[in-house]
Amino acid sequence: MGIRAAVVCLRPVTAPVAALVTALVMTGCASARDPSVAATAQRFLSAAGDGRGGAACRLLAPEAARSLDDCEKDIVSIGLRAGTIRGVEVWGNEARVRVDGDTLFLHRFPDGWRVRAAGCRPRPDQPYECEVRT
Amino acid sequence: MKRLIRENSLSLCFLLLFLAALAGQSVAGAAAFNAEQAANGGSPVGWAEYVTSSSFAVDVAENWQSEYLQFFLYILITVWLVQRGSPESKKPGEEGLETDAEQKVGRYAEPGSPAWAAAPGWRRAVYSHSLGIAMGLIFLLSWLAQSVAGLAAYNTEQLAQLEDTVGWGGYVASPDFWNRTLQNWQSEFLAVASMVLLSIFLRQRGSPQSKKVGDPHAKTASSG
Repeated sequence: MGIRAAVVCLRPVTAPVAALVTALVMTGCASARDPSVAATAQRFLSAAGDGRGGAACRLLAPEAARSLDDCEKDIVSIGLRAGTIRGVEVWGNEARVRVDGDTLFLHRFPDGWRVRAAGCRPRPDQPYECEVRT
Repeated sequence: MKRLIRENSLSLCFLLLFLAALAGQSVAGAAAFNAEQAANGGSPVGWAEYVTSSSFAVDVAENWQSEYLQFFLYILITVWLVQRGSPESKKPGEEGLETDAEQKVGRYAEPGSPAWAAAPGWRRAVYSHSLGIAMGLIFLLSWLAQSVAGLAAYNTEQLAQLEDTVGWGGYVASPDFWNRTLQNWQSEFLAVASMVLLSIFLRQRGSPQSKKVGDPHAKTASSG
């Protein structure tokens, strides 16, 4: 994976009534890059890597936090570490952030981005395998 | 005003039906979308956010493209192919573009003919095919819109399921794109074939889409 920190900008904002034309123009690249995705991922990884389990758990999606027996303890024992952002891809309310040696999936909630899966590794022809996920 | 409405009642009726159906689709679609969000551990979205989403756009566009393809093909194919006994068809022997006199173009144009029907060169050529061109263009734009909105909806779904995304080229070669496309096409083609064949033997009194009730089954190209 090369250094590709560019955001694939496709927050689909398509005007349905005029879908013929606007779908082409607007969904093609309707939003600017969203720096808060990468920032949330970095804050989450830093917190987990520094042993601040409470802060890390507050950045997890509720379902992901509930999947751990003891979120604040478990999230710091997984071995997550902050690293250089290698790529951010945003589609609708979903995002994937690649960092050195890790991949995170995030979801946009009304109050901002939350991590729905972390410690993820790709598997051929299957969903990513993740240490924590919704 | 009353007269204006009466004389345009067919168009107005279908435009109102279109808006009502689109509104209904947006409400039902938002509910289905939010049920899926909840199942994936995501947050629900409001109606306004849903109707500006790629998910709603692809559902709208995939139906639009198939409808316009249906009319585009019907307009074009009925120039050359006929069905004996169908009011939707020309009479056998009349296949083709017909003569300038029959089409009232060029020097055969009448005082009330559109200006471009009488005009020479490209204007007459374009106007002679303008209905097919318009339907064909709207079909292509709708299909393109389906591919772009479909790509966004597909990749959103991929990320929600912790899977990798695809590019536009990969998406238009994907089963998702062709499943959405062909499931609409097959129903349109069946509906046209049904209309052409059933209208040979069945009648709807007063409808210009039907033969007159007393017309023989073998009578082609009439309306009542």
